[in-house]
Amino acid sequence: MTIAEDVAILPEGIAWGLLIAFGILWVILGWYLGRKNRTAEDHMLAGRNVGMALATATAMATWVTANTTMTAPQLALQLGVWGMFGYSLGALGLILFAPMARRIRELMPQGFTSGDFIRLRFGKFTWRVFLVVSLIYAFGWLVSLAMAGGVLINALAGIDYRVGMTVILTVCVLYTLLGGLRAVIGTDFVQTVIIVLGVAFIAWLTIDKVGFEAIHFNLMEERPELLNLLFPAAIMFLFNNLFFGVGEIFHSNVWWSRAFAFGRSVGFRAYLLAGLLWLPIPIVAGFVALATPALGINVPVADMVGPLVAAEILGLTGAIVVFIVVFAALASSLDSLLAATSDLVTRDIYRGHIRKRASDHEQFRATKVVVVLLGLVTWAAASYRGELPVIGSLAEVLYFTGAFVASAIWPVVAGLYWRRANPTGAGLSMVAGTTLGLVSYFTIGFYVAALVGAAVSLAVLVLFTWLAPRDFDWRLLAEAEPHSAAPVTGGAR
Amino acid sequence: MRTLMPPRTRSWLWCLLLLAGLALPAQGTAGPAFDSPPERDAAGFFSLDWEGAERFELEQASGPDHEDARIIYRGSDTSTTVSGLPDGEYRFRIREEGAEEWADETVVVVEHHPLSRAFLFFALGAALFVVLILAIARGRRLA
Repeated sequence: MTIAEDVAILPEGIAWGLLIAFGILWVILGWYLGRKNRTAEDHMLAGRNVGMALATATAMATWVTANTTMTAPQLALQLGVWGMFGYSLGALGLILFAPMARRIRELMPQGFTSGDFIRLRFGKFTWRVFLVVSLIYAFGWLVSLAMAGGVLINALAGIDYRVGMTVILTVCVLYTLLGGLRAVIGTDFVQTVIIVLGVAFIAWLTIDKVGFEAIHFNLMEERPELLNLLFPAAIMFLFNNLFFGVGEIFHSNVWWSRAFAFGRSVGFRAYLLAGLLWLPIPIVAGFVALATPALGINVPVADMVGPLVAAEILGLTGAIVVFIVVFAALASSLDSLLAATSDLVTRDIYRGHIRKRASDHEQFRATKVVVVLLGLVTWAAASYRGELPVIGSLAEVLYFTGAFVASAIWPVVAGLYWRRANPTGAGLSMVAGTTLGLVSYFTIGFYVAALVGAAVSLAVLVLFTWLAPRDFDWRLLAEAEPHSAAPVTGGAR
Repeated sequence: MRTLMPPRTRSWLWCLLLLAGLALPAQGTAGPAFDSPPERDAAGFFSLDWEGAERFELEQASGPDHEDARIIYRGSDTSTTVSGLPDGEYRFRIREEGAEEWADETVVVVEHHPLSRAFLFFALGAALFVVLILAIARGRRLA
């Protein structure tokens, strides 16, 4: 399941050179940007005053991940044109979160994590269910990103998957550790520029060198269903991917921490613009996979198709560009996820459950320990790629978490906008949605899990609220002190 | 340990080891073989894995007579991703590159999900999406 060293396009020496050069660049940037962090709030929320340019860049770069640059081509290869168009619907997650980001900032000017909100709005039971959902998702995303790093390096340079994965993970852990969210946002800006220029360059060269006609002719000859607009699994996948993307963004602390960190009135415009700019990227990145039959390339594992095609078309230069682009995309997401997940674990597990009176200094230190621990656990899981049932290809790992995150959409939306939402119903909607979503993942396929999870979750929440509505006073969110060890219970009055 | 093992037992063990050693090359001559290939596929994509040689030739055909057979891969990789095939029965054969005889064969039946099921999920998704937009828009207005 791996590429042999003798057929790799990028010489090992160049690959190591790029890895070391960019690794050092990100770590130095991380140290430089984070050198003024003194408190947990500095480290976690970058002083709560991030401006429009950096805010848009970090939202976009974080959403352009290994999942965009590598899973979009994988889905184009597996599900055809609907695969890449369906993937681009993930932009709606960012666009729909724009008004929510503004509301979050207004309701919780002193908030820290998405967990804070759920605890204050719905109480402890729903908060704990939400934490399980959120941490499983974060872990699945972390593992898929680490896997993507190893796959990329193996596909291009033939370097052992585990070695490449370990190096990329280590670099990201190091600079997140040094700089916190400030470093993450700063490096995201540089990485966004690299990603946009690189993806556009690769797509332009693909069209120029292979041509639409050759791509179309060979697809019709060898893989005609990829062009079929009535491809059944692809039709099932369309809204599934939309709800997966929406679920990821609505619930994840990656996006909530940015909503808290962006300056007042910045969040709405930044998320909206980032979503619009992100929309074409999966289509451009995924398109290259459709050139596979025209080029006669063998794709050993579906998630390798993007780098393989680009390297085949563009030769050594292409391989170097792909390497830099995907490394930047990976790093920009991996660091964001490490930072946001460590915040969630520190605030909601360490501070919320283990050491309720932890000082600011203790939290600051805990955040760093958690980053290292997350890195180690991710490394251990990603080492078993292809050997454990769910840890197969990138898409399999990622969409496994779809059932979890899609079931959290309605509790978050209802929590923000529906005054009478039932708190227990919100928790149970996540349990039921996740359970049936996972059943559909294993019995039908990865391309329906999020959709089923979202549908069941909505039904349960509406039913509970209809049977037992509970009024909530929004002012309690702003008045409550998120640091407080004694939370406002449940919002149910 | 050696002192505890009677000479006769040791001789038997040597014989067994010798036989096992002789059997190993015999397995190698059997040539490449598919590793747990799928029998049916509804998603429209699947992967084939194989092992047993340095370089391989993989052939795909759509009928038992292999009339439309074509080589879809030649090289040292040990797996491939198959996608984009319409409903039908597909036959894959593998052999060592340059060998006369095919070493292993497998049949995969591609039967896509029925369109009625696909559109059911599509309609469910569209309805949920409308509810989501209305919930956010209405919530913003009332907030």
